[in-house]
Amino acid sequence: MSATTENDAPAKIIVRDLKKSFGANEVLKGINVEIAEGEVVCVIGPSGSGKSTFLRCLNKLEDITAGSVTVDGYDLTDPTVDLNAVRQHIGMVFQHFNLFPHMSALQNIMLAPVELKKLDKAGARAQGMDLLKRVDLAEKADARPASLSGGQKQRVAIARALAMSPGIMLFDEATSALDPEMVGEVLQVIRDLAAEGMTMVVVTHEMGFAREVADRVIFMDGGVICEQGTPEEIFSNAQQPRLQEFLAKVL
Amino acid sequence: MNVYRLATRRGRAALGATLTIVALFLGAGTASAAVMPAASSTQSVKGVEVPMAVAAATDVKGKTFAVATDTTFAPFEFRNGGGDLVGIDMDLLHAIAENQGFSVDIKSLGFDAALQALQSNQVQGVIAGMSITDKRKLIFDFSDPYFDSGVQMAVAKDNETVKTYADLKGKTVAVKRGTEGETFANSIKDANGFTVKALADSATIYDDVKAGNSVAVFDDYPVLAYGVSQNNGLKIVTPKEAGSSYGFAVNKAQNSDLLAAFDAGLANLKANGDYQKILDKYLSAPETAKQTSFFDLLVNSFPALMKGLGMTLLATGLSLIIALVLGVVFGFFKVGESRILRIVASIYVEIFRGTPLLVQAFFFYFGLPQLTGQPLDVLSAGVITLSLNAGAYMTEIVRGGIQSVDPGQLEASRSLGLGYVTSMRRVVVPQAIKIMTPSFINQFVITLKDTSLLAVIGFAELTYQGQQIYAANFRTGETLLIVAALYFIVIFVLTQLSNVLDRKFNK
Ligand SMILES: Nc1ncnc2c1ncn2[C@@H]1O[C@H](COP(=O)(O)OP(=O)(O)O)[C@@H](O)[C@H]1O
Ligand SMILES: [Mg+2]
Repeated sequence: MSATTENDAPAKIIVRDLKKSFGANEVLKGINVEIAEGEVVCVIGPSGSGKSTFLRCLNKLEDITAGSVTVDGYDLTDPTVDLNAVRQHIGMVFQHFNLFPHMSALQNIMLAPVELKKLDKAGARAQGMDLLKRVDLAEKADARPASLSGGQKQRVAIARALAMSPGIMLFDEATSALDPEMVGEVLQVIRDLAAEGMTMVVVTHEMGFAREVADRVIFMDGGVICEQGTPEEIFSNAQQPRLQEFLAKVL
Repeated sequence: MNVYRLATRRGRAALGATLTIVALFLGAGTASAAVMPAASSTQSVKGVEVPMAVAAATDVKGKTFAVATDTTFAPFEFRNGGGDLVGIDMDLLHAIAENQGFSVDIKSLGFDAALQALQSNQVQGVIAGMSITDKRKLIFDFSDPYFDSGVQMAVAKDNETVKTYADLKGKTVAVKRGTEGETFANSIKDANGFTVKALADSATIYDDVKAGNSVAVFDDYPVLAYGVSQNNGLKIVTPKEAGSSYGFAVNKAQNSDLLAAFDAGLANLKANGDYQKILDKYLSAPETAKQTSFFDLLVNSFPALMKGLGMTLLATGLSLIIALVLGVVFGFFKVGESRILRIVASIYVEIFRGTPLLVQAFFFYFGLPQLTGQPLDVLSAGVITLSLNAGAYMTEIVRGGIQSVDPGQLEASRSLGLGYVTSMRRVVVPQAIKIMTPSFINQFVITLKDTSLLAVIGFAELTYQGQQIYAANFRTGETLLIVAALYFIVIFVLTQLSNVLDRKFNK
């Protein structure tokens, strides 16, 4: 572990020259980034620029074509690394929630801790109820996902992602599929997590939110990191014309 | 039904066609048949060892021989009201066996199937009202003739205008395909100016006359005489044309002791008068059956049909369980990571979806034993056929079910750190089952109906039992109606039950 951040804590996530192709289509063209423990990184950029692909490489939901991704010191491209063990420390929240429709909200949350023997059934139930309380949905414990609103679904999904007590959370446009009136409740949960010091990579279209919670903002375009910096630097002092153009469109 | 009889029956053309069919998907059938005659030049003992009327072939004593016969060829073999196989062939064979001190295990397979079973050594002999022909003598050894047949013409009972061949001018005559009746009809049709229409079996040609599509039938006299005695609605109007003789057959140069015993026993029965008694029982003095009501038919046929239905359900149940296992295994191969397993599964599916079930059934029952030398009973062959066939469709159902689950579900599960197998078991499969259930129920119905095709290889399921019944009583329409109703009721009840369970467990 040679990489360190300014405050000398070892970087939680180290991405080196990451490339990803789908067939002949190179979607990520060499990404280099380090994310420190407790850092909140927001990723912005036009649609199709590779944000989701980048995020999915961080827990290897996508096969990595070239380069390396190191999480907590484990190189995900090393075939001897137990991916399932690494993934337990990385929670992921999807744009379309991906809740398990045949399970209740509480069962969704309990599945991983019970199957992976982190907790016994009673312990997982207690933890699941705590997590549901945290996202303010204790009364929906026995509800099936189909009977929940979009905002409620996404809050359950966040609770589920937290069930293995991960050190890192990944959010892929967690509010894009929500009706506007439900965006706030989900952002509030993410905001709380940030305040608790969770290491997070948040792909988002909510520029106001990025500005408010991010320690660092990364602007991706065409499969590369085009510009990065503090929210102030990105939103008030953009250097690259492509970023200026993008911001002009979305702000 | 009787599609299988397209391959002909007792006439001269029959065997060649049969062999061609076997050879077509085996490549082995004709080869072995062609080799056999060369080895059989010593076969001349027939009759020589039985100089006296009271003779016995001692080396068959106490042995049991499997003998194949037709499903129904009244009055030679057919099932009586009690479901027992009776008829001239049966009575004669049992009397000869008793006379000679051996036992027989009768396999009621159908005519073509019986010949194929003999060739693949699943049985030692065939007795099925089979004409002794030169072509057949190349492959089989025949006993002394035990019956002399001949073609007669019959018309509808109330027909007073057609009495001779000349009266057929401009009319249509129905014959059974591949029989001597057909050969004879064709030989005189030009001289008498009538048209010949060949159909699959006796019951059908009689029905054709009753329905008014044809005016007359040409059929073997014993068959016709028996049919008339059973109220088939016809009457015989011409004397018997000189015809062929029937014989008991074994494979060329094999089981010569059985053949010798048959000849010896036949000679004994002829000498002591039992032979004539058996013939009279079915031909000279047939107990003319009175036409019974539909309700009587239902009551009389019910035990046999229930037995058939039981076999249908047994074959369906066993096949579906095995097919489900195959479907799950190969279905997972198809959605899995391994290219090799995907290819294996695809080949399996393509083979069994790409060939007719009937050919598969023939292959497993007749072909496989010829290739492996290991006989296969009809239930096993039937269940193997249906399992592999339904398994191919189940594979596609499982693949489709799994693939129709949103890929995001598997990703969400994997992102939690759950392994592939756990993710499948807890997340994907439960959702896939819900999607697959209607297709499963559908496949279940298809497999249940497909069991009827196994009648072809002599599997005594519901359709087979129905065929047995109408071939003996000539009440085709009513019998098929009962059979169809039974299928309908069972399928209706079981699908309703499945749907209830589906709604209950797949909320
Ligand atoms: N599974 C896939 N197969 C092929 N192409 C893909 C796949 N996933 C994403 N892509 C392509 O990669 C590019 C980047 O996609 P994505 O990472 O989803 O962008 P973003 O999240 O920034 O909108 C797009 O051109 C998309 O079509
Ligand atoms: Mg995206």
